[in-house]
Amino acid sequence: MLNYTNTLVGNYDRMLRGTPTVTFDYLVKQLPTATAFINKKYEVVYVSDKWINDFDFVRKDAIGASLKDLFGTISKDWEKVLKQCLKGNPSQQSLHHTLDQEGNLRWFEWQNIPWYDEKENIIGVILHTEDVSERILAEIQSSKIETLLEAKSEITNIGSWEFDVERNRLSWCEITKKLHEVVPTYEPNIDTAISFYKEGYSRNAMAMAVDRAIQNGEPYELTCELITAKNHEITVIATGKPIFKKGKLIGLVGTFRDITPTLENEKQVKRQERHFKGIFNSSYQFTGILDTQGTFLEVNETALTFSGLKEEEVIGKKFWDAYWWPIPDYIKDGLKQVVKTAAAGEFMRSEIVVLDKDKNPIPVDFSIKPIYDENQKIISLLAEGRMIKEMVAARRKLKESEQKFRALYELSPSSYILSDFDTGEILDFNTSFEQTTGYTRDHLGQLKVQDILVTGSRTQLLRIKKEIENNQAFGPEEQEYVKKDGTKFPVLVSGSLVGNKKGRKLLWSTAQDISESKGIEAQLREEKKLLRTLIDNLPLNVFIKDLDSKKVLVNKSELDYVGLNEKDVIGKNDFDFYDKESAEISRKEDLEVIQNLKPMLRKETISVKKDGTVTSFLTSKIPLLGEDKKVKGLIGISLDISDLKRKEEELHDLINVTSVQNKKLVNFAHIVSHNLRSHTANFSMLLDFLVSETDVEEKNKIIKMLMEASDNLLETLENLNEVVAISTNINLDKKPVNLCEKIKAVEQNLTAYLKNNNALIINDVQEDLEIKAVPAYAESILMNFITNAIKYRDPMRKPVIRLSAESQGEYTVLLIKDNGLGIDLDEHGDKLFGMYKTFHKNPEARGIGLYITKNQIEAMNGKIKVESVVGKGTTFKIFFNEQN
Amino acid sequence: MSKINSVCIIDDDPITVFGIKKMLNMLDLADEIKTYVNGKEAIDDISGMVQKGETIPQVIFLDINMPIMDGWQFLEKFLDLQVENKIRINIVTSSIDAYDRQQWERFKGLTSHVIDFKNKPIRKNDILEITRVA
Repeated sequence: MLNYTNTLVGNYDRMLRGTPTVTFDYLVKQLPTATAFINKKYEVVYVSDKWINDFDFVRKDAIGASLKDLFGTISKDWEKVLKQCLKGNPSQQSLHHTLDQEGNLRWFEWQNIPWYDEKENIIGVILHTEDVSERILAEIQSSKIETLLEAKSEITNIGSWEFDVERNRLSWCEITKKLHEVVPTYEPNIDTAISFYKEGYSRNAMAMAVDRAIQNGEPYELTCELITAKNHEITVIATGKPIFKKGKLIGLVGTFRDITPTLENEKQVKRQERHFKGIFNSSYQFTGILDTQGTFLEVNETALTFSGLKEEEVIGKKFWDAYWWPIPDYIKDGLKQVVKTAAAGEFMRSEIVVLDKDKNPIPVDFSIKPIYDENQKIISLLAEGRMIKEMVAARRKLKESEQKFRALYELSPSSYILSDFDTGEILDFNTSFEQTTGYTRDHLGQLKVQDILVTGSRTQLLRIKKEIENNQAFGPEEQEYVKKDGTKFPVLVSGSLVGNKKGRKLLWSTAQDISESKGIEAQLREEKKLLRTLIDNLPLNVFIKDLDSKKVLVNKSELDYVGLNEKDVIGKNDFDFYDKESAEISRKEDLEVIQNLKPMLRKETISVKKDGTVTSFLTSKIPLLGEDKKVKGLIGISLDISDLKRKEEELHDLINVTSVQNKKLVNFAHIVSHNLRSHTANFSMLLDFLVSETDVEEKNKIIKMLMEASDNLLETLENLNEVVAISTNINLDKKPVNLCEKIKAVEQNLTAYLKNNNALIINDVQEDLEIKAVPAYAESILMNFITNAIKYRDPMRKPVIRLSAESQGEYTVLLIKDNGLGIDLDEHGDKLFGMYKTFHKNPEARGIGLYITKNQIEAMNGKIKVESVVGKGTTFKIFFNEQN
Repeated sequence: MSKINSVCIIDDDPITVFGIKKMLNMLDLADEIKTYVNGKEAIDDISGMVQKGETIPQVIFLDINMPIMDGWQFLEKFLDLQVENKIRINIVTSSIDAYDRQQWERFKGLTSHVIDFKNKPIRKNDILEITRVA
């Protein structure tokens, strides 16, 4: 507490008691103290500049002016004091205040003393004043501050108040007013101030405290309930402190603090502390708080769990003695150094290895940092450890994959190019790029994508740019690059856009040199074309079918054969082209080939198309294996052999004909040989007899026989000649012959013979029927059969011969039916038409007629059949070929 | 060499029949000579003999090409007859047809009778050789 009494005591006892002189005014003017000389009329006579300044008067106005003029009024107390002075009694020093022109309260220490002249006559009063406003205010202020400090207040929400006892005036500062929730212009007094307190204990206690402070000078501090002007109940701490001046209470100052929020704050602090503790303990990090000497003050549960220790085993121990550090001493020394450095204000951080409770080394991101108090003094250290096992592992993995990528990047046969998307500047490339293009890393910085790209059309470049902007990527597409030496080569390029940290757009491109594959591609195309040309021009039908017998490929011949376009054939199967039977056979063959993997080679097949066209093929079907050696279909090759088949058939027929002819020839040769031999043998034998015969009669007999033999030989030669004529006449001129008329003509020629034999001919042949025949043969044939019928008639019956005709396919068949003897066909059938075969004991039978007839019919490509019943009759069927 | 009781000639050619007969007579080889103009007449007659239990000719001269029934047809039927004695059959033909030789081979294998094959003209020496008891 300051001693106001001492502070306010001035040095006014030693005032000058000078006589007014000429220079008196001048002297007074320069007095360092504020002094004014007034006469008995209270008018200013002399005044010091200080006094003028203190009271803000103007010197020339002040001199001669009365106090009343200067101060406005003279209080009665003061007038009393002045009158006492004029009687020779100086006043006590006192404190007065006044309002200056700005309305500020100013405090003055004031003493009035009598003014004596040389003769010790009182001629006026000397006023000594000292402006102590600043001191007083300073004192009040410091008193307030002290009060605030004593209340350990926070800066906020503390109001102040002061009570001027002398003037019975209470003033509140703005905060106090705010706390009372009154308007800023509100003027309180002691009574109203006390009435704000809650009725009951709060108001009573406050009223008593204020009363004791005023009466007894006792300071107070009370926590009370208060109802604000807006009817809010708040809790306040109100303090009050008496201020004395020279033992006299001159006022009270105090503070006024709303602690309602403080209570809330306390709760919050507790809550925060709980939160902090919770976070501290449940943090994934190891956290400890050390003092600056490295001793554990706090350690969190994570660290304890990790190390398997109890809190008391750690707290109070030195940081470097903790269980979890590896044993070697240099580590301890290092840790000591770290703590020391941190305690000196450095933030330390590094990756280290600690041991868990099972002594497994665990990598940890460790840091230790100083904690400052409000005075920027280091009071403790915060040690933290973050387990980075996963991070370390991930980092190792990252490093591995980075190495892998690096290897790939450098060893890849593809070129990698990193470029600026906007400028095209090439920022990086790999070895493959160098090897392919001939550019080296020295060119980096001056090389642009535009330099290596053979400029395509403007639209192409725009399209790529747009594609990248839309998709962040482009390609793969073919482009052409140009090497350093100017040669161009095709590449397959794709790229994707990446952004770097600075927002620069970078383009990663990969470019694959496809010169070789382009070459191969072209070669393949060429080969494919060649193959296609080849199979299309093969005179074979070639097709490939899948496992479902659907056509996958067909050549031109096959298309020409089915008469469709390629698009109408691919994907179809045989059921779409052939009749059901052909298709089923084909499908069966396909399945056999596909299932047994055995090719079907050169099989004769017959395909019948939907329109009924029949084609013979020589077909091979070969299983088609994929690269995986699995069957994926078959290759079919068909050769159209219809022509061949037809020719084969013709040949077959021809062979048949020639073999028949040959047989006939051989037969004929035998006949000739036999007949000639038998006659010559007879000649030879008879001549033998004749030579050795002596008997004349016998000789004549032999000569007669020789003559008979000669006649027989002649006849035989004639017969043979006739047969040869038929057989050698190859230029047969077949003409239409009216059969009915021909029969009539023959009948006419045989009129006498028929009449003699009493024979009847019935001609049932249609009058307009024509056959194709050699006319002479037709006549000979008719003549032969009619005469035969009569020759071998049944002697018991009148011979009746019936002729009729009918059509059978390519033949016109003439039927000649008689009622003669008939022939035992079982016995003689095979010899009936043989030469010199006779079957009846008929002296006229020569065995040549039917033989010649048969030859004539066959010469006209006809044939002959016979039906006969012995004793009933015989029917000959003569087939005339109408074709040729 | 003993004289043969009965010989028969089956041939439609009267000149051949005359020749063989004359040679047989000149050589005096047979007591009796029968002749037939075709196979049918011959087989009918011989069958009758067999049925009556008479001895049939021991040597048969057989022509092939004959009307009504030829030599092979005759032979077929002859072999069916129940003939106890071995008969000698001489085929005498002017045929050079391979078919006829094959037929000869076939028939030889079918019977225990002796079957010979001779081409015309036939001479006295041949007759002497082939006209003997089988």
